[in-house]
Amino acid sequence: MVETLQHAGRRVFSLFENAFDAAFGPRLNPLFHLGALSFLFFWVVLASGVYLYIFFETSIDGAYRSVESLTHTQWYAGGIARSLHRYASDAMVIAVLLHLLREFTLDRYRGVRWYAWVTGVLLLWLLYASGIGGYWLAWDRLAQYIAVVTTEWLDWLPLFGESIARNFLNSTTVNDRFFSLLSFIHVSVPLFLLLGSWIHIVRISRARTNPPRPLAIGALLALVALAALRPALSQGPANLDTVVSTVSLDWFYLAAYPLIDIWSRGAVWALLAGGTLLLLLLPWLPRRREQPAATVHLANCNGCGRCFADCPYSAVILRPRSDGLPFETEAVVDASLCTACGICVGACPTATPFRRLAELIPGIDMPQLTVRAVRERTLAAAAPLTGTDRVIVYGCHGGPDLSILNGAGVAAVTLPCVAALPPSFIDFAISRHHADGVLLAGCKAGDCYQRLGIEWTEQRLQGRRDPYLRARVPAARVATCWAGPRGAAQVLRELAAFRARLRSLGPYRRDGETPPRSPVPNPEVGDVAYRVG
Amino acid sequence: MSLIAWDEKFSIGIASVDHEHRELIGLVNDAHDRLMRPGAKAAVADFLGEIYARISAHFALEEKLMRVERYDRYDEHKADHERLLDDIRDIMDDYEDERNFDENRFAERLRTWFTEHFRTHDARLHRHFG
Repeated sequence: MVETLQHAGRRVFSLFENAFDAAFGPRLNPLFHLGALSFLFFWVVLASGVYLYIFFETSIDGAYRSVESLTHTQWYAGGIARSLHRYASDAMVIAVLLHLLREFTLDRYRGVRWYAWVTGVLLLWLLYASGIGGYWLAWDRLAQYIAVVTTEWLDWLPLFGESIARNFLNSTTVNDRFFSLLSFIHVSVPLFLLLGSWIHIVRISRARTNPPRPLAIGALLALVALAALRPALSQGPANLDTVVSTVSLDWFYLAAYPLIDIWSRGAVWALLAGGTLLLLLLPWLPRRREQPAATVHLANCNGCGRCFADCPYSAVILRPRSDGLPFETEAVVDASLCTACGICVGACPTATPFRRLAELIPGIDMPQLTVRAVRERTLAAAAPLTGTDRVIVYGCHGGPDLSILNGAGVAAVTLPCVAALPPSFIDFAISRHHADGVLLAGCKAGDCYQRLGIEWTEQRLQGRRDPYLRARVPAARVATCWAGPRGAAQVLRELAAFRARLRSLGPYRRDGETPPRSPVPNPEVGDVAYRVG
Repeated sequence: MSLIAWDEKFSIGIASVDHEHRELIGLVNDAHDRLMRPGAKAAVADFLGEIYARISAHFALEEKLMRVERYDRYDEHKADHERLLDDIRDIMDDYEDERNFDENRFAERLRTWFTEHFRTHDARLHRHFG
C-alpha cells in the first residue's frame, strides 16, 4: 500500500521535477529546496508581520480600521506588507505540504528519519494555528466567520470551562481584551513554530535552511509581484449582529472550515486528529529495516574526525579515547541515527584499496558492504574488461539500477551512496590499470537521497574537501552522472560519450613514464587473501 | 640497519602525533628491511600501501589539530601534505612500474620523502602547539 502510493507519488513528482530541471537547472529546482523555501517564507511572514504590528490596533473597533488604513493609505508599504504576509504564509503551506509529500514518496521518513517526520507533522498544527489566528486579527467578515466556526469547533472539546463561542454571540459580548489575547497568540504561536522548526532539523547536520540565492530572490520577486498585482484585501467589516452568509476562503489554510459547517464538529475533530495520528504513525506502518550501522575499528582510527565532519545525520561523534592509545578522540557511531549510507567510510583516510599489508579494515566501515568487499567487487568486475575504454561505474541506491549496464562491457559496483566510495579507489582503479576511466552514477543532481553525497563527492573530486582525489588522477578519466533512479538512458548516453573520450585518450600512462608492463598479471587480482570471503 | 632513526627533534610535543611518527618510522624501516630480502617486490609494495594509508590518516589528524588550534599557516601546511601524498603515490607507482629497480635509489627516495615531512614541521608550528 505504502509502496504503491510512493510509486505513484514519485511518478507525479518526477514529471514536475523534470519540468523544473529544464526551466531552472537542478541546482535551483524549487522542488529540491522545499524545506529551505519554507524557512524563507517564514522569514518573509515574520518581517512583514513586524511591520504590520507597528500599525495594528488591538481593539474591536481599531483592528479593521487600522488594517484598512494600512492597505489603502499606505498601499505602497503597508499594503504590500499585508499582501506579502498573506501570500508568503500561503506559500509556506504549499512548500511545507509538498515537502511532506515528497519526503513520503521518496521514502525519507522512516527508519532513523522518523524524528524529522514526526516533529514535522506536529509543526503542521502550529503552522495552521499561526495562519488562522492571523485571519482572525483583520476582523473583517472572513475573520468573523473564522471566529465563530473556530470557537464552536473548539467548544466541542471539554477543555474550556465555559463556551468561548459565546464571546462572539453579538457585538457586545466581544471585548478589546480578548483581542489583545488573540494578537498575543498570533505572535507567540509562530515563535513556537520557529522553535519547533529548529527541533525538526536539529538531528541532521548542515540542514539547508536557506535556499540558493537566485531561488530566494526569484521567490521574493514573485511574492512582491503577486502582492502588487493582487493585493490582499479585507472582506468588509465584521458585524457580530449579522450572520456571515457568503465569504471567500483561503483554501490553503481554511479548507477544513466548510466541513465544520457540513459535518458535526466531532467528526471534523476525528478527521483531523485521526489524520494526524495516522501521519505520526506512518514511519512504523511498516517500519523500515535499516542496514546495520557503521562500525568503528579503533586500531585504524586516530580520531581525525573526517567521518564526523561528513556524516549527514550527525550519527558519528568524537568521544575521548577509550583504548589507551595516545590519541585524544575516537569516532563513535550512534546507531539510532545512522542510515548506513557509508559516507563516513568515503571520508576515512585509512579506507584505501592500496592497503595490502594488513587486512583492509578502515577506521570506520559498513558491515553490509565493507571497503574490503568494495575492493573485491571492483577487482572482480574489472578483471574481464578489455580495450582502451574499460570503465568502472560506481552507482548508488538512489541512482539508476546498474543492471542496465549488463553486457555493456563495463564493470559496475553499487554502493549505498556514491560518496561512500573513498576517492583513492578512483586513483587505484586508474593508476593500477584496472580501468581506463571511472564513472560515478548517482542520485539526481541537487537531490541526493543521503542529503550530502553528491556535494561531498563533487568537492572531493575537485580537491575542495577531504579526502581529495589526488590531483595526479587525470580529470578526463573521471566522470560523474547525476541522473537519478529514472536516468538510465542518460547514464548510457554519457557512458558512451565517456568511453569514446577514453578511446581517444589511449591507455593511461603517467607523464614521462614508460607504459606499464601490461602482460604481467596485476598483483591485486591474484591477491588470494582478498579474494576469499 | 634502520633507514630512519627516531630523533627527539622529530618530536612535536603532542602525544598522538609523536606516536604516529614513531609508528610510521617503524613501517618505513620495516619496508627497508624487506627490500634486502628475497621476494622483496610484493612485500615492499604491501608496505607502501600501508604507509600511504597511515600517512593519509596521520595528515588528517595533524590537519584537524591545526584547525582546532587555528594555526595561521594552515593552508600552506595542508598544501604540503597534499604534495607529500602525491609524492608517495608517485613512489608507489614507480615501484610498481619500474623495470630496472634500484634498491638503494628507492630507499634514499623513501627516506628523503619521509624526512621532508618533518621539515614541514617548522619551528613556527612547534611553537604554536607548544
